[in-house]
Amino acid sequence: MAQKTPEIYSVELSGTEDVGKTDTGDGKEKYRGLKDKRLELKKNHQKEELKKEVDLEDHKLSIKELERKYGTNIVTGLSSTQAAELLARNGPNALTPPKETPEIVKFLKQMVGGFSILLWIGAILCWIAYGIQYFNDKSSSLDSVYLGCVLALVVILTGIFAYYQEAKSTNIMASFSKMIPQQALVIRDSEKKTVPAEQLVVGDIVEIKGGDKIPADIRLLSTQGCKVDNSSLTGESEPQSRSCEFTHDNPLETKNIGFYSTTCLEGTATGMVINTGDRTIIGQIASLASGVGHEKTPIAIEIEHFVHIVAGVAVSIGILFFIIAVSMKYYVLDSIIFLIGIIVANVPEGLLATVTVTLSLTAKRMAKKNCLVKNLEAVETLGSTSIICSDKTGTLTQNRMTVAHLWFDNQIFVADTSEDHSNQVFDQSSGTWASLSKIITLCNRAEFRPGQESVPIMKKVVVGDASETALLKFSEVILGDVMEIRKRNRKVAEIPFNSTNKFQLSIHETDDPSDKRFLMVMKGAPERVLEKCSTIMVNGQEQPLDDSTAEAFHTAYMELGGLGERVLGFCHLYLPADKFPETYSFDVDTVNFPTSNLCFVGLLSMIDPPRSTVPDAVTKCRSAGIKVIMVTGDHPITAKAIAKSVGIISANSETVEDIAKRLNIPVEQVSKRDAKAAVVTGMELKDMSPEQLDELLTDYSEIVFARTSPQQKLIIVEGCQRQDAVVAVTGDGVNDSPALKKADIGIAMGIAGSDAAKNAADMVLLDDNFASIVTGVEEGRLIFDNLKKTIAYTLTKNIAELCPFLIYIIAGLPLPIGTITILFIDLGTDIIPSIALAYEKAESDIMNRKPRHKKKDRLVNAPLAIYSYLHIGLMQALGAFVVYFTVYAQEGFRPSALINLRVEWEKDSVNDLEDSYGQEWTQYQRKYLEWTGYTAFFVGIMIQQIADLIIRKTRRNSIFQQGLFRNKVIWVGIASQIIIALILSYGLGSVSALNFTMLRPQYWFVAVPHAILIWVYDEVRKLFIRLYPGSWWDKNMYY
Amino acid sequence: MRRQLRSRRAPAFPYGYRYRLDDQDEVNQNYLADEEEEAEEEARVMVVHDLEEEEEEEEKEEEEKEEEEGQGQPTSNALWQKLQTVNEYLWDPEKRMSLARTGQSWSLILVIYFFFYASLAAVITLCMYTLFLTISPYMPTFTERVKPPGVMIRPFAHSLNFNFNVSEPDTWQHYVISLNGFLQGYNDSLQEEMNVDCPPGQYFIQDGNEDEDKKACQFKRSFLKNCSGLEDPTFGYSTGQPCILLKMNRRGDENDIRSINYYPESASFDLRYYPYYGKLTHVNYTSPLVAMHFTDVVKNQAVPVQCQLKGKGIINDVINDRFVGRVIFTLNIET
Repeated sequence: MAQKTPEIYSVELSGTEDVGKTDTGDGKEKYRGLKDKRLELKKNHQKEELKKEVDLEDHKLSIKELERKYGTNIVTGLSSTQAAELLARNGPNALTPPKETPEIVKFLKQMVGGFSILLWIGAILCWIAYGIQYFNDKSSSLDSVYLGCVLALVVILTGIFAYYQEAKSTNIMASFSKMIPQQALVIRDSEKKTVPAEQLVVGDIVEIKGGDKIPADIRLLSTQGCKVDNSSLTGESEPQSRSCEFTHDNPLETKNIGFYSTTCLEGTATGMVINTGDRTIIGQIASLASGVGHEKTPIAIEIEHFVHIVAGVAVSIGILFFIIAVSMKYYVLDSIIFLIGIIVANVPEGLLATVTVTLSLTAKRMAKKNCLVKNLEAVETLGSTSIICSDKTGTLTQNRMTVAHLWFDNQIFVADTSEDHSNQVFDQSSGTWASLSKIITLCNRAEFRPGQESVPIMKKVVVGDASETALLKFSEVILGDVMEIRKRNRKVAEIPFNSTNKFQLSIHETDDPSDKRFLMVMKGAPERVLEKCSTIMVNGQEQPLDDSTAEAFHTAYMELGGLGERVLGFCHLYLPADKFPETYSFDVDTVNFPTSNLCFVGLLSMIDPPRSTVPDAVTKCRSAGIKVIMVTGDHPITAKAIAKSVGIISANSETVEDIAKRLNIPVEQVSKRDAKAAVVTGMELKDMSPEQLDELLTDYSEIVFARTSPQQKLIIVEGCQRQDAVVAVTGDGVNDSPALKKADIGIAMGIAGSDAAKNAADMVLLDDNFASIVTGVEEGRLIFDNLKKTIAYTLTKNIAELCPFLIYIIAGLPLPIGTITILFIDLGTDIIPSIALAYEKAESDIMNRKPRHKKKDRLVNAPLAIYSYLHIGLMQALGAFVVYFTVYAQEGFRPSALINLRVEWEKDSVNDLEDSYGQEWTQYQRKYLEWTGYTAFFVGIMIQQIADLIIRKTRRNSIFQQGLFRNKVIWVGIASQIIIALILSYGLGSVSALNFTMLRPQYWFVAVPHAILIWVYDEVRKLFIRLYPGSWWDKNMYY
Repeated sequence: MRRQLRSRRAPAFPYGYRYRLDDQDEVNQNYLADEEEEAEEEARVMVVHDLEEEEEEEEKEEEEKEEEEGQGQPTSNALWQKLQTVNEYLWDPEKRMSLARTGQSWSLILVIYFFFYASLAAVITLCMYTLFLTISPYMPTFTERVKPPGVMIRPFAHSLNFNFNVSEPDTWQHYVISLNGFLQGYNDSLQEEMNVDCPPGQYFIQDGNEDEDKKACQFKRSFLKNCSGLEDPTFGYSTGQPCILLKMNRRGDENDIRSINYYPESASFDLRYYPYYGKLTHVNYTSPLVAMHFTDVVKNQAVPVQCQLKGKGIINDVINDRFVGRVIFTLNIET
């Protein structure tokens, strides 16, 4: 039987041998990658230390040798002084937290990042200009000093703001990673002491019991039924038993080593600490993770690209006009001032802060939906994700064994594996089920921990191993109070499971008072159980076990095993009352009762079932064009079964092996083109060249990687990234953490996730719900679209701010808008509206389109820049100039009089400058008029920015399709614009330093027709885009 | 913009997003789960894909080149290659494209932008025309900004500090020339010929239509007496008794100054020179002047002088504006 089902890894109940057997083959290779990485790290001279640990030999040593090696005694332990010495030498038993960038460096980075450099240059130029001025004329005005200070202030304030935002999101994590200090029970000076786990040193003798986290890497010295959960290290959801025997060369496979941060599930053990802190296996993986460089997030690349564009435009226009100004015989000093003006006009000072706010708003929104974003920029990354590499255990699955199928009466029944088990629909009327349920209930040592009456059954804590827990909960849900049933059927004898028997047996009194017989129940590996049976129960009747029923059993067993499920067989026997009277004394050592010719009742299969939300989420990812790849440390069969059940391998697609099996031909003869899906093991992956991996990743749309090591996960992620894909990795275990770090976005599970995973990740799913990723994708895509709108909105007015300077230099008009006024637009009226665009709803179903290509679908593309700068921006500039000319003309300076007036206009000593009507103006009267011009120009831009804001709500749809009033925040933005402008003009109009004046009310309306024109023009643009998709217009006008 | 080069399926979809989705379909071909595209199409897409990548690189290289300029190039070969790709981007003889656009595409762009900017020009012309319709050619719509008149002095040469040495004519000659030039318009003959003699002490109100030409009141140079430059062509500068003319923008007495003569003696701007009806109709208007003849000023030190206008509707204490209703200058006469 065992030979017949070599693929079924999961028949193991809780034995010891099979795990060893199945792992022997690939176990060595499985962790080879890890070692390789360590060797690589050696080359990094900093990591030299790690290399020493490559050959962990402690599991091969005898206890005596160990004692010698570590200078300890397994009975008395270390002495306190020895321990203190070792602690001082080796450092505390804790993982070194990843190196944090010093706060000051983070702060300074904000000060010089983005546009800050440009503004610093502007400020410094201002001060230099003043210096020269001062050198020539001691009484020169301090204007340029003020401007320089204002620019510096702007940089510092936006820097502080960005720093604060960044710090805020980091703090969320800080609170997250704070853990309750772990305690360890250690023998020192021949006494048992409880010390903080941090103070453990090598050579310490520690005791652990069920429920404890193992406090360091320990070599086990004695064990009693000890089982550990290594899932965070290897991804296997099954508990691994531990003993003191050396069973495997590979330290990770041998049974006599317990690993730091894994959990002891049951039993007790005593062990000697052999590695602490960063030198533990977990510590090494963690440092592997920290060795992985973090790539720039896609949005950071986009913003950098955008900054380059804008800075390029600013600098080139600035320099161009500097040259023009100089060649027009302007003083170099004046030309420098122009240069500053052009830079300030071109740089959207408030935009980066806006982007930060927008991202953090989305991050908040996602946090409400249980997606905690650690790195703000990761908000968008999820939106551009094109491949999700998902871990299986704990991410796609519930990470707990659950009864999935039953087989009795020659029929396979499906059990409900959803999180609450609420909907068990299989036929429970058969007499066989009655017997089977009794065996399930009685032949089970697991118990609920007391005091959990109010907790839902599925959430109750159980003492017992995973399979028994599954059976207990299953029966509790269906039959009700299991403990009560057990009480009524008093247990008189029991043979617990052991690896040689591979079965578990117990004998009970029956709850039928008239029936004096004893009931013997047995469960175990199906083939073993079947061997002991001579009859089989069908429809409640015992029938002899003939070849046909045995065949049916095998078919069912193979089928369930093929689903990657762990199968158990159940049988019973009513002991005849005459031979076994009520007073019969059962002796489990001599086995004074029959253990053969039993009656086979049924099979039950268990699996770590997928989370119920996962299949739907995978489908959604698919329709959103995201490829979902499973990468797991678990066995290929289980992995494939889960992949099929969640839709990672869709129902109608086959692997090469499937086709080979169906056509009954060797695997080599199958054309690879026919298969859509592939299951690749770590072994196969190890032999692949990067090119082959690339081929694999492109050829198959549905891929499952099984039995992978942490290093291989990294290789897979890198392979995906070579395809220009944006890769998201989800995982919970320590073994996932390097891949989480390497991924464009690492997503860790909040509940099941290990701290290493959470630390390496960019995002944490607080509810462990894979479906939250879909929400994240949606939010990420929306934010990308909305950022486009925000940037388009912000860039538009830059032209309206820039043109005045150009006209001023070329045509010599009195300056239409001042530098300070520009700052009031960029950092005043425009801020709230541009944030408001982040609240815009999607124009279409963003989950039905493919993810953006990170190199082609840019945030700021040519159409966006051109349309903003050369279309709407120019229209805005014209509108604002109309307001400006109106103000000047009505005060006495007709446009014609303004041309080339600049020199006279700005001379302090000219106090009788004649206007178009012959009126004469003093210098201050002119200055005041100039400020009125600034205010007018400002109001002109502001009014048209309202129109700009409205048109930016959509990129393709008509505003009326989108709904003018659906996004209320937009209206808050518009109101804020108007109110800020009113305050600046009427409230602060008397503060001369701000260069605002009280503008006559009628001037507020001069730009309104232009605003309407902008709206109409944009509606026409969108109309043509919708009417003629794919046309020249669409390609050049859709941004 | 570059995208237009790409071959694509005929846009048969009337509305909506299908096209856009399709577009991305092409772009993201490689990642897609469903690979139902036909092989033929795939091949074509691949070609396009390559082309685009090339362009992308070129663009990037151009950027890089800009950035690297001045930093020195790694090797001349790499530089040459870069230059070549840039050059090819600027003008690709094979595909007859410049900046990744064909001539046809460029002309289409030029035509469209020509029409767009022409319409914008039309719009602004219309706006300016409307603006001119709303403002009067005779008087500005709002005048209260200049209502408190400013005061200026003559001679004025860039500075309000009068520094000169009596014994060195070079130091004051330019003042004399400036005054002479300024007073040409006030020559008696010219004034008598062009302007009318109107009654003093009252506003010279001229009713009638806005567009009628208005008469201007005579202000003869001779009113300025000793400061007219008629008797003393050096306006007193040669004797250290400089004349400074006070002019009110269209529309006085310190210890160091021991003696000032004012011409006209009233030391006032007569009402008859007001109101001013604007440049267009009030032709040949000459602003009234008051000459100050500093006959005895402390020599060899800077003497600050502040002249204030006094009268109804005159403001002379605006903090920010030192020329509204007053003028401050310094005299520093060396002997």
